[in-house]
Amino acid sequence: MENLLKVIVITLNNQRYGINVQQILSIEKMQEITRVPRTSEFIKGVINLRGETIPVIDLKERLQLETSEPTNQSRILVIQVDAVTVGLIVDSATDVLDIDTNEIERASEMAGIVNEKYIAGIAKRAEELLLLLNLQTILNFEETEEVIQLEKVEEE
Amino acid sequence: MNTDQYIDIFLDESREHLQAINDNLLELEKDPKNLSIVNDIFRSAHTLKGMSATMGFEDIAALTHKMENVLDQIRNEERSATTAIVDIIFASVEALEVVVSDISNGGDGKKDVTALVSAIEGIEKGQDAVDEQVTQDHTSNSFEFDDYQLEVISQAKGQGYLALSIMVKLRDDCILKGPRAYMVMEKLESLGEVIQTMPSVEEIEDGNFDQAFSVVFVTKVSEKDVQATIENVSEIELVSISEISNVNSVTTEEAIKIEEAPSSSSQSVPSEEKQSQKSKTIRVNLDRIDTLLNLFEEVVIDRSRLQDIANKLNNQDLVSVVENMSRVTLDMQELMLSMRMLPVEQVFNRFPRMIRGLARDLGKEITLKISGKETELDRIVIEEISDPLVHLIRNSVDHGIEIPGVREEVGKSPIGTVELRAYHSGNHVFIEIEDDGAGINREKVGRKAIEKGLLQEEQAKRMTDEEIYQFIFASGFSTADVVSDISGRGVGLDVVKNKIQSLGGSIIVQSEQGKGSKFSIELPLTLSILSALLVQVQRETYAIPLSSIVETVSLSKDDLMFVHGQSVMDFRGKVIPILSLSDIFQVPVESLGTNQNYNVVVVQKGDKLTGLLVDELIGKKEVVLKSLGNFIKDVFGISGATILGDGNVALIVDPNALIQD
Amino acid sequence: MARILVTDDALFMRMQLKDILSKLGHEVVGEAENGLDAVNKVKELQPDVITMDITMPEMDGVQAVREIKKFNSTAKVIMCSAMGQQNMVLDAIQAGASDFIVKPFSADRVQEALEKVLG
Repeated sequence: MENLLKVIVITLNNQRYGINVQQILSIEKMQEITRVPRTSEFIKGVINLRGETIPVIDLKERLQLETSEPTNQSRILVIQVDAVTVGLIVDSATDVLDIDTNEIERASEMAGIVNEKYIAGIAKRAEELLLLLNLQTILNFEETEEVIQLEKVEEE
Repeated sequence: MNTDQYIDIFLDESREHLQAINDNLLELEKDPKNLSIVNDIFRSAHTLKGMSATMGFEDIAALTHKMENVLDQIRNEERSATTAIVDIIFASVEALEVVVSDISNGGDGKKDVTALVSAIEGIEKGQDAVDEQVTQDHTSNSFEFDDYQLEVISQAKGQGYLALSIMVKLRDDCILKGPRAYMVMEKLESLGEVIQTMPSVEEIEDGNFDQAFSVVFVTKVSEKDVQATIENVSEIELVSISEISNVNSVTTEEAIKIEEAPSSSSQSVPSEEKQSQKSKTIRVNLDRIDTLLNLFEEVVIDRSRLQDIANKLNNQDLVSVVENMSRVTLDMQELMLSMRMLPVEQVFNRFPRMIRGLARDLGKEITLKISGKETELDRIVIEEISDPLVHLIRNSVDHGIEIPGVREEVGKSPIGTVELRAYHSGNHVFIEIEDDGAGINREKVGRKAIEKGLLQEEQAKRMTDEEIYQFIFASGFSTADVVSDISGRGVGLDVVKNKIQSLGGSIIVQSEQGKGSKFSIELPLTLSILSALLVQVQRETYAIPLSSIVETVSLSKDDLMFVHGQSVMDFRGKVIPILSLSDIFQVPVESLGTNQNYNVVVVQKGDKLTGLLVDELIGKKEVVLKSLGNFIKDVFGISGATILGDGNVALIVDPNALIQD
Repeated sequence: MARILVTDDALFMRMQLKDILSKLGHEVVGEAENGLDAVNKVKELQPDVITMDITMPEMDGVQAVREIKKFNSTAKVIMCSAMGQQNMVLDAIQAGASDFIVKPFSADRVQEALEKVLG
């Protein structure tokens, strides 16, 4: 029996990653981001998403990858995980794929590009290995808050 | 706005419409029953109203508005086109012609139309002798809709809702009519929206009706299902439902039907005067208004873009269209913000019944005086404040007011008084609950506070009565000797205080032993909209709430002083600290100011003043407070964000966090 | 036939209700003397319907409805009110009570209430 998982393919520094399409609310072009002072480095600020303000994270910075200036191809992926809505800045959002869940493997051996705790699995496809991102850990609250707390302590 | 280029079109069309009204009025005199003529006149008046309001000719708009109302009544066969009415419309048209010709001669279009307006108003309100009798026959018991309700009903129907007129009759042996009726209303509200009731909702839920009451109801479920749902409530004798096919017929046919039911009962409650306060509101889900507000903000954003484009293209036509749009959107915005506001009446109306019940249960006699129930508050605040108020009133009735015997012994009237007041002041709404009861016993509260370890004996002696009284808001604090059925429900005044604080408000209590107590609640006018001063810091824009601002000051570099490494300035003979927003918010420095002058926004928290150093003052603006979301929590010195006209986000400064205690 | 828990602090009222209920063919699975007692017995006995007096020691009927609704939001509670307890009845309905009957009880009213509540 075939179970298909629909994913959106994004790129970060030319590496392709997959994100479960069900966690994605919309894909936006880059727009003016208002910096929010005294928050984590990877939180770039907030944007106006059709009348609501949502925070935006530089996904590369969050994953401790090499960062670069946004280009025409850059997109803000608006995702929702649990009750949290966040925009993720990615280099590009290219296409949608159906992945057979039987072909997804655990990520343990693929570490090296990105810390494995951020990877939900690896889809082995004919022409490539697609890293599926684990948004829960990427947005891990406790950790995020710790970072903010730390910064606050430093200020005071 | 610049409307000059439209003036010619306006004048041409106004003349056309006035002429049309004239012609049609003459026709109408010959054939007063011809409603299609009335319709034509109505449309002309309506168009005139819209055009004149757009052009800012308020007198024309006021007069045509009144004409429209009366014509609407005729059109809906609520009154007939009598000679008196035709005459006054003629007179109005004449007056309008004068105004229009004045405008075409370069005048300002102003004319005193109050006499005409009030004359039409008189007709509209039914002072027309001919019509009086007809309308009076069923004013006491019929539904009367205002424009708004009519609009709601017709729109609801347009969207596939069913508009129903429902009469519910309770069985004769039903004893507690209020709660029974409440159950019916509750069921109805789960199926749709109650637009109007007769008598008022309060009267119905209070059981102040004979055996029957009526509601106008819009719903998406079928008539049959509504019937079945109501019939599933106990003690219902009869449910009679009819669809409101034609909105106008409600005031005639439906009314008669409704009237029959109560008249069959032998009991008779004097209901005329009580029905004077008919509810003229409908319930709209707050989410819908918020969605509307959000959508509207998008329009504002696009408008700003349009404005930019228009300016770039330098196309005058486009520029003026955009200007007109700006003006209209501004009005829309005000209207939408006001839609979130509701009179506190909604909450206050529950209390007379509650006090009556409580007093009876406790064997006390109490008069409730209410004032300021028209005071408006944000819907959310209204919803949230209800429980704390119930609690405070219960507290006053239970612990404050003494039983009649005791009152007489101390020389007071046996009837106690509880006063409930609401009023606006500045950016706040105050609600006060005052009773002429026993007051708070300082000794008792003090002792209890010491027992609870909240206070040292020595401290207590030095504290004022006021200070001691505030301990009744401490958690788990109750001095009532007997825990009664009413307020001794294990919920203390601390819960009340917490709730009020969570709404951004505060509560204090004043009291005099033997004379009574007064609880004063201060609430923000609205949770989500605030007046702010927009300021620029380097390339970033911040909003500072006006409520915290004392003054803005231009300060020359030489006026800036340093004391112990802290920059300070002299503000009216007082040395106050200065904080640079640029430093606090670590704003990336794009350019070093070459200005010899600084702009300082002086903010206050209690009696502490602090100057906030900014680069530029942009101006005042009403902003809609948005949360930063639950991902970013507790940013130091920032209370939220708002979306500016250009679509960008600006952060709202929280001066309270910046001012050092 | 429904399994019913009768709550009233007065033995007499409980007897009377039990009598009416059993004549109507229902089974009284338990009796509670106050609100707190009722809350515990609802947990233990899982009755189809609960009759609930309003004024009782320990915990009043309105509070009991709130407590019961906390762990069983679909619990069907019929309030037993005396005349002049409008406000308490209103509170109870707001708290989630399904219907109310007024003392003195008539068999007809009890039957109607049960029918409506059991739907």
